[in-house]
Amino acid sequence: MNTYETVFITVPTLTDDEERTLVGSLAQVVTDGGGTLVANDRMGRRRLAYVIRKCDDGIYTRFLYDSLPSVPKELERRIRISDKVLRYLTVRLEVEWAVAAKEQAVKDALARAEAEAARAMMPPEEIAKTDDDDGDDLDDEEAEAEDPGGSWAEAGSRREGDS
Amino acid sequence: MNMDGERKPPFRGGPPPSDGGPGGKPRGARGGGRRRFLFRRRKYCKFCEDKTTWIDYKDVRTLQNYIPERAKVLPRRISGTCAGHQRQLMRAIKRARMLALVPFTTD
Repeated sequence: MNTYETVFITVPTLTDDEERTLVGSLAQVVTDGGGTLVANDRMGRRRLAYVIRKCDDGIYTRFLYDSLPSVPKELERRIRISDKVLRYLTVRLEVEWAVAAKEQAVKDALARAEAEAARAMMPPEEIAKTDDDDGDDLDDEEAEAEDPGGSWAEAGSRREGDS
Repeated sequence: MNMDGERKPPFRGGPPPSDGGPGGKPRGARGGGRRRFLFRRRKYCKFCEDKTTWIDYKDVRTLQNYIPERAKVLPRRISGTCAGHQRQLMRAIKRARMLALVPFTTD
């Protein structure tokens, strides 16, 4: 068993539903191949450093999984067939780093679940209020703090040498 | 010197290197010019200081510090990064380039 990390960029024109089915089917490949998916992390939409297939933006998704080498091979084959994926990169993580990365992934998942739970506990009026806050763009910092992937995606909105 | 495959740009005209002859600046005009370099802060490897074991290719903020204007990898002689970390850094930057997190070059 090795630990692999696959990051792939999907075209920004996908609808949420299309994206979910695509990512879901790729995650299926990992689990079907006998691997365990530790993190299925939607890193968010980000401005690409250079244009790929006439796309300025891309949606980044990261898989972190333990598996035999056959799984990333099959995963990459599937990705290559799909015309919805702009780029992909698979890296085998060194053992000591893999442990740290997995711990981090578990921590992230817990934090996300907690945030979700806190949201679910809130009375409906307050949820409506926070939703409203997100809508009117006044409190940018707060919105960024809420979405862990947000700041990462924001950072890439500027392209070097764009001026 | 050219281990990362970078070539020096061809010399395109411009003033010839001054040999201190007539027309050039007289040598030693700035008294004690060398002294300024004597007390320069010693360079050190920032990754060793943080005890970094792995430079993440997704961590664009860190990588950006080592990618100057033309998007080349900042050489070790300038950043002071140790050999091992420079090698990791180079790998991380190259991976980040493939994922369009960081440019290959600026146009």
